Amino acid sequence: MKILIAEDEIELQKSMITYLECDGNVCEAASDYNEALYKVDLYEYDILILDINLITGSGLDILKQLKKQHKNTATIIISANSSLDDKLEGLDLGADDYLTKPFHLAELNSRLKAVLRRGKFGGTEKIDFNEISIDTRSRTSFIDKKPMALTRKEYDLLLFFVTNKGRVLSKAIIAEHLWGDNSDLADNYDFIYVHINNLRKKLTDAGAKYIKTAYGSGYKFMED
Amino acid sequence: MLVSTIVLYFYVRNLLQGEIEEELRSTEARIETSINENGPMYQLPPVVEIEKVALLGTERLKDTLIFDPSQDELEEFRELTTYSDIKGKKYRITVRTLIVESEDILVAVVVSYLVIILLVFSFLFYFNKAWNQKLWHPFFENLEQMKRFSLTSDKPILFMDSEILEFSELNYEITALTDKVRSDYKNLKQYTEDVSHEMQTPLAIIQAKIDNIINGDHLNDAQFEHLTSIQKDIQRLTQINKRLTLLTKIENQQFSNIEKVDITHCVGSTIQNFNEISDKEIKYERDDVIWAEMDRYLAEVLCNNLLSNAIKYTTGNADIRVIASDKTLSIANHGIRALQHPENLYTRFYRESETIKSTGLGLAIVKRICDLYDFEVDYKYEKGMHTFSITFK
Repeated sequence: MKILIAEDEIELQKSMITYLECDGNVCEAASDYNEALYKVDLYEYDILILDINLITGSGLDILKQLKKQHKNTATIIISANSSLDDKLEGLDLGADDYLTKPFHLAELNSRLKAVLRRGKFGGTEKIDFNEISIDTRSRTSFIDKKPMALTRKEYDLLLFFVTNKGRVLSKAIIAEHLWGDNSDLADNYDFIYVHINNLRKKLTDAGAKYIKTAYGSGYKFMED
Repeated sequence: MLVSTIVLYFYVRNLLQGEIEEELRSTEARIETSINENGPMYQLPPVVEIEKVALLGTERLKDTLIFDPSQDELEEFRELTTYSDIKGKKYRITVRTLIVESEDILVAVVVSYLVIILLVFSFLFYFNKAWNQKLWHPFFENLEQMKRFSLTSDKPILFMDSEILEFSELNYEITALTDKVRSDYKNLKQYTEDVSHEMQTPLAIIQAKIDNIINGDHLNDAQFEHLTSIQKDIQRLTQINKRLTLLTKIENQQFSNIEKVDITHCVGSTIQNFNEISDKEIKYERDDVIWAEMDRYLAEVLCNNLLSNAIKYTTGNADIRVIASDKTLSIANHGIRALQHPENLYTRFYRESETIKSTGLGLAIVKRICDLYDFEVDYKYEKGMHTFSITFK
């Protein structure tokens, strides 16, 4: 997967590259508006991660340029501005998703994969992990071709685990993914524990012991 | 007034007395002349009495009361008694004339005074009133303008011009003052917005780095605990930022998409969301469907904040009661005791207890939203329940 990260904050740019390259993606970076415009013009990328507020120009203009050239590049906007209008404007211009800073890299990763799964980027709506397969269109999951009875949140959790396989996920990251702003409601994450335990039990009953505990309170989805 | 009445009274009395005396004397002189010319001796009691006497007495002038049958009452007369020797005969001539009684003078004076005063007063009153009304009209008009002044609205204060220098100066100073206040307020708001906005990027960097550290090697459990705790605090900061920005946006009236929102439905879906996170039971009674003209997003924020507040602060595992009835939505949660400072409930960053982690902005946002749309928000503590009720319009 070839990814261009247009972000003027070098440190954030580096962190994103580190995280995304682990999955075998090829990442390139553009640190200002002109560089981003130049690279978008010249090369083909599968995904563009675009900061709206680049120091020397607006990311939205790059998005317009991209659409003008009819390039089949998925775009995820990252912005410090959480306002609904900005979000809508970005999505209207053809962005595929919108993330507000600060975000978890696991969240970015899962959004990225979700965007790519959509038909127009040639992805498939089926995700397979050994005996587990997930159909994201119908939001159903199978284990050994047998459908699994998962609740809505358990399904979301499984998808999040699978798309971030091999990564350590803290309860805070999981809570934010599942409940967004409302995740601060319970100060302990007991309720997450309940959901994860249920999912883990359903997987283990079918012989899939992939959800591992990491560092006592975190989780990791991986093969033995 | 009183003094002038008294003075006038005595002056008029003196004047009358002098006149009467003169009249008496002239009558007396005429009688003497008439006697001198051997004319008939007039007798017209009690006005004129002439008597022959043996001895001449001294002249006397006095007041006397004589019964007047024609009027059937005692009348006051002024009496002049003179003695004169005319052609060797001694006469006593008594001339009397009716005088105006003192009380009558007094009454006349007082009545005429009162009438004048009344006339002058009423004239001055209406004249002044009309004049003042004209004069003060710009002032009161401007006062109304000032009462309507709101920091949050951008409507300029339009003062009425006045011909009075002081009023014009006052207008000028107030305009300068309100402009200054408004620009300071705007700067302050801009500052809040900028700070919140500028903090997002550094937070994003910290967050991303922690995510990478967690996924790196060589961590022990304690270090992981520290890192996840930092993650929680980053999340809290992010929440504070988001809510501050939201508050500023509400104040700036940046939510202008007003539509008809089904509040009962909105509450229902919020409760459904919360049921997945919280084990607190929420009992929802929908007696009526509540519609409100407002921004859909703000309606969601409103329901969300009220419910999450109830979930956070309810004690034990007691259920939360939500009732939608008539035009009022009330949300009640259990609490051991009443709030110590309910007046601070909607103040930013005010927390009654530090044991519960919250941004301290949720209810401030609720209040702002209600203020924006003129909804009534009410809090009370009764029978161990904290109840918030919102009356929609």
